[in-house]
Parts: sequence; C-alpha cells; structure tokens
Amino acid sequence: MSDSTTAIFGYNSLSFELISQLVKKQTKIIILDSDLEKIELAQKNGLIACQLDYRQDDDLIEVGVGSTLTTLFCFLEHDSENVFLTLSARSLDKKLNIISLVNHPESEEKLFAAGANRIIDPYKICSNKVYQLLSKPHLTWLLDHVVFGRADLNMAEITIPENSILDKTSTQNLCIHEKYNLFLIGVVDKELGEKLYFALGEQDHMLDVGDILVILGSHRDIKHFKKEIGIIN
Amino acid sequence: MLTRLTLYLAYSVKTSERHHRNKRFCYDLLENPKSKIKPYFDIFMITLVMSSVFILIHEVKNESNLWSIYFENFVVSIFLCEYLLRGWIYSDMHHIIIEHHENTKYLGQPFSLTKVIRQILKNKLAYIFSPSAIIDLLAILPSYRPLRILRVFLIFRLFKLLRYSQSIQMFTGILKSKQFELTTLAIFMGFLIFIASTAIYIFEHQSVGGQINTLYDAFYWAIVTISTVGYGDITPVSTGGRFVTSALIISGLGVLAFFTSIIVAAFSEKMSEFQEDRVKSTIEKSTNYIILCGFGRVGQEIAQQLSENKKEFIVIDPDKQHADLAIQKGYITLNEDASKNSTLLHAGINHGAKTVLCVTGDDVINVYITLTSRHLNPDINIISRANRDDNVKKLYQAGANHIVQPFSIAGLLASEHIGQPVAFDAIQGILHQQKDGQIDALPILKKCFLAGLTIEQAQLSQYKTSLLGVISASPNHEKRRNRYKLRNQHFYFNPEPSFILHDGDILVLLGRQLSIEFLQSLIEKSHLSARKEDL
Repeated sequence: MSDSTTAIFGYNSLSFELISQLVKKQTKIIILDSDLEKIELAQKNGLIACQLDYRQDDDLIEVGVGSTLTTLFCFLEHDSENVFLTLSARSLDKKLNIISLVNHPESEEKLFAAGANRIIDPYKICSNKVYQLLSKPHLTWLLDHVVFGRADLNMAEITIPENSILDKTSTQNLCIHEKYNLFLIGVVDKELGEKLYFALGEQDHMLDVGDILVILGSHRDIKHFKKEIGIIN
Repeated sequence: MLTRLTLYLAYSVKTSERHHRNKRFCYDLLENPKSKIKPYFDIFMITLVMSSVFILIHEVKNESNLWSIYFENFVVSIFLCEYLLRGWIYSDMHHIIIEHHENTKYLGQPFSLTKVIRQILKNKLAYIFSPSAIIDLLAILPSYRPLRILRVFLIFRLFKLLRYSQSIQMFTGILKSKQFELTTLAIFMGFLIFIASTAIYIFEHQSVGGQINTLYDAFYWAIVTISTVGYGDITPVSTGGRFVTSALIISGLGVLAFFTSIIVAAFSEKMSEFQEDRVKSTIEKSTNYIILCGFGRVGQEIAQQLSENKKEFIVIDPDKQHADLAIQKGYITLNEDASKNSTLLHAGINHGAKTVLCVTGDDVINVYITLTSRHLNPDINIISRANRDDNVKKLYQAGANHIVQPFSIAGLLASEHIGQPVAFDAIQGILHQQKDGQIDALPILKKCFLAGLTIEQAQLSQYKTSLLGVISASPNHEKRRNRYKLRNQHFYFNPEPSFILHDGDILVLLGRQLSIEFLQSLIEKSHLSARKEDL
C-alpha cells in the first residue's frame, strides 16, 4: 500500500479538503494542475506538485499512470475536462481507480462510460445535507461526526483475514455489539458479489476469508476488534 | 335628553370590548380576505346558493313540497342575516356620533342629532346602493310573498356567487381595469346596432316578403348579425337590406376582434400581478415554510426534495433565467434580490417563515443574506452554504445556525475512498438516503408502546432495523457508557440491552425506509391511543 501514489488533478477550492484529509492520513499524494501558479502555490504549501497538461498522454505516463499510480482523483472544474481525463487515464491503465467530481447530473453517465469507478456530486450531497438539516437536525450532527470521524466514532472496513476466528461464523452469531461494543453497518459477502448488504437482520451471511465488514465504533474498540480477529498483533 | 342618551350609548359601545370582538369576528367571517374562517363561510354560502337555485329549477316542473319551503326560508334568513351584518360592519355608527360630538364641542356649536342621523343614513345608503349589496338584496326580495312575481329574479342569487369566488372577482377586476376601452366599444356597438337596425327596418319593412315588421325585429336581427351568430330566421330580401347586412357583418367581425383583444391584453397585463398575489396569499396562509435564496444547482436539488416531500417554500433568485425555471417547475418564486430587506420582508421573513436557506454560489452574497435575515428576524433558523473554508467563521458571525460546505463534504468523502472503498459506498448510500439502507431518527412519543421498555424488551430487530444509538437529554442515562456530547443532549452509541427508553428520547436506527416508516407509524398510533385513553 505504501508504494502506491494517489494523484489529484486540480488544485482548487474543490480539492483543498480532500488534500488536507489525505495528508492527515499520510497518503502519498501528488498534485497535478495545468496552471503553473497553482502548482507553485501547492509547492509553497509543502505538497509534491507537478505542472502538466492533462490532454497529453505522454505527460500522464510520465507522472505514473499505468505504473505507480493506483488512484486518480479528477477534481477539475469542468465536467468535460474530467471526462477527458478519465477517458485518457482509463485507456492507459485498466486497473486504475478513478474517482471524479461531477457538476451536472447529466454528466454522471458520461463519466461512468468514460471509465470512472466512482463519482461524487458535491451539489447533490450539499442539497441532501441541507434537506436533512431541515427535516432531521439531530441526525445531521450524528452523521457529521460518525461519517467523517470528527468525534471518536469511526467507520472502518475490515477484511476477514485467513485463519481468523471469524471464518465460518454467521453474522447472527457475531455478537459484535455485546462483545466488542461495535455497531455492524453492513457486510460484503464475496459469495454474493461485491454488493454491500446493510446489517438489518433480514439475511444471515456466512463469513469467509475475504468478506468485508463495515463497522462503527471508537478507535480503541476497533483496534481491539482487529487484534482479536488477527489483523494486527 | 335623547342627545345625551345617544352620546352615552355611543361612548359605551366604543369602550365595549365585547362589541369590538364581535365586530372583528363578523369582519373576519364576511370581508377579511386574510382570515382563516372566510373560505369556509364562502364555501357554505356557495352551497346554499347552488342548492336553492337547484330547488328553483326543480320546481319549474314539479310541485314544491314542504321541505323545500322550509329550506327556502332557512336560506333566505341566512341571506338576510348576512345582508344586515354586512350593513353593520360597513361603517361604525358610534364613530360618526362621537366625531360629530367632538367637533361641535371644539367649535362651541350645539350638538345636532338630526345632522348625525343624516350622516349615518348617508353612510348606510352608500352600502345599500353598492352593487354587491343590490345583488344581495335582489337575492332576498323575491322570496317575500307579495313580491312572488319576482320569482325569476331568484336567478340573481347566482350573481351572489361573485362575492364568494376569488377567480370571478379577478375577472370583474380585469373588466373594471379596461373600463374605458370597453365603454368606447359599447358606445360604438350601440351606434352600429342603432344605424343597422334603422336601415334594415327602412329597407325591409316595405319590400315584399320582408320579415322585419317591427323595430324590435330589426333590433333583434342587428344583434344576431353583428355578433356573427346569424341564426338565419330573419333574412334580408331587398338589395338595400343585403347591403346593410354585409356592412354589419364586416364591422361585427371588427368589433369582436377588438373586444377579444381588449380582454386578452388585460389578462396578460394582470398576469404578473396574479403571480405576485399568489405569492402573497401563500405567504399569508402558511405558517411554516422555507425561504430558499438562490436557485442554482444546489437550490434546484433542494427545491426538488422539498416539493417531493410536500414542504412549502419560496424561491428567491435575482437571475431571470433561474426564476423562470423555478416558475416553470411550479414553485412559488420571487424574481428579486434576496440581499435587500424589502425582498425578505416581502417573502414573509417575519410572518411564518421558519427557515432561510442561503445556497447561492457566491459566499459574499450568502454572508450578506444571512446577515440581513438575522437582522430582520433574530429567531429564524438560517442554514447557509460556504464554498470556501475561510468563510465558515464569517457566516457563523453573520448569524447562521448551520453551515454546509459542499466541496469540503465532497473532499471528505473522496478521502474516505482511499483504503476504505466499501465504507465509502455505505456513507454515500446513507448520505443520499437510499431506500434500502438509511439512518433515521425516530422520537419516542409520550406514552407510546416503546416508552419505559428496555432495549432488550423493545426488540427492534423484529422490525428489521438495528439500533445505532439513542439521543437523549434525560439525566436518567447519565451513567451509561459510550456517551457523546451533542449540543445540549447526549448521544449514546450502541446502548446496552438494559438501557431504558424514556419519553423524548430519540432512536437512531439503520434500516430500510419501509421498516422505519412502519415503526414510526406504530409509535404514532400507540401515542395517539394512549392520549385518547387519558382524555
């Protein structure tokens, strides 16, 4: 994981928060922008930055698309630019993880068609949040803290390792609430594909190696849980 | 003596609280377009008018029975009461008396009762001769036995409907605004009809086989022809008559076109006024709506969610294109600048607006609108959008209650994707309130079936929901673990099975929309039935 680099296209108001979050997580990042001034600004802020024209495939290969780059964030201001960048990057690297910003809802499909893995619509999220603030003010606080980890409540995803005590346990017998003081949000059961199933007691999943649990809890409890199941020593 | 008694009565009426209250009530009921009871009264009156006219139509062919007579009497007495009440609230008698008394005292003149009475009579006569009062009277009079001949005039009751329907009032308003044009047209038409009917009478009366024998025939023919209806029951036979007919038909077309264009022009002129009236009346009626400033990308999304959830809101956007889009979507829209005091006042920031949303793309404008709204209404809930991090503080200073940062949420979310792509999906699902998995907060209402139960007893899993935690302000839970501070309440994450739920606690649940809604309805039902038992 440590070798992998994350590239962020666009050094602008859209990407500031993303960059600061990634810096906090100590992810190896490289900032890319076609504007020299912005690159200088980024370098002044102590970031690794590089000026490049996203329209040139050679430039993309040079920064590591197809080799060292594992994740690419397209945070350019126009949808057309993001689509173009996604398309170029996808043609160079089939496995690259591409996450793009979308401004207009009609661009969603185009971005997916161009090969983006995930898209983020900031306006839609914003309006959802405003609506939530109106209709369920309590919940918004909670989501803010839980989802974005502003309090000591975090979401974590845990892949079940080999030889774990959880191998061949069913979700009903997990007793994660009582034993570990954690809340199980959902499960990805690899037998059923990549879909996330919310843990609502509708269905019992048999956990195997490679399945993913999405859990919520305090740092300490998550760490404790990871120790128990043998992810960390 | 009589003078003194009158004065005494006038002053006592003036100071009487009850009198004012009664008069106020009658005014609200009959005249005040803003009152809440008037629409009910109007509907009641419309029903009365329609049913009485229906009975009249029925009686044209059938014998009247006893019940219809009773009903007729009832209707007429209601009409009579209404007529008298309207006369009563039309003006204040005691005002006139007192005013006159004070004036004469000031001038040192003797108080003259006759003068006062004359003035009062003049005032009330003005009411009696107002068009709507005449219609009201015409609706009542034919029922009076000696005036039974006037039965046909019962149809005048239908005119009474004018009073109770706003759209008809609107139409009469339009006609009134074009009074000058319509009068000109009417005079012109009168001339045409007069000339044509005289001419046709002269030509056709003498000719062989002519059907026009009287001046009335000629008049009838002229009307039928000028309106381009042309029944053909009376046709000209002489050359002169045919010539007159041709001329009249052509000018008739012109008159019709003129008339139509006047009405259409008046409507289109008034259209914007109606739009404003609609905004106004909505604002006046509703008490719990949202002012949405800015109809850009975020504003549009919010508006859609609000309208899907049937919440009332007003859109304000100074941009004509945005405002047109909002109008096209059927939202109540003001095409004005929300940073002006007058716009926000017009939108009703001090009357019943609950929340102001500042979601324009420009932080400067958001700060300004926030500041203006806070200045105008210190208690209103303001949610504002901040595009840049540095402006968050300024918005809080300006008085925003909540701040939403679209790009920062997007950034947070995107960063979550590194290392935790599945959690990212879960978060996105929750943020977008997906139907198959959402987090929702359900308050425990007083005496509902969950109140007083422990979490173990409540068995929330049978509703296919899982309990994430409980939000509570109650001190009962203080010793529980996993406590997180939340303003003046606490959030208890993952509560133990022995945790007891109390009134006012809020359950935070993860579940499908379906199951959460079902549980909510159960809570509400048991709450209502408990309340009924108490009563």
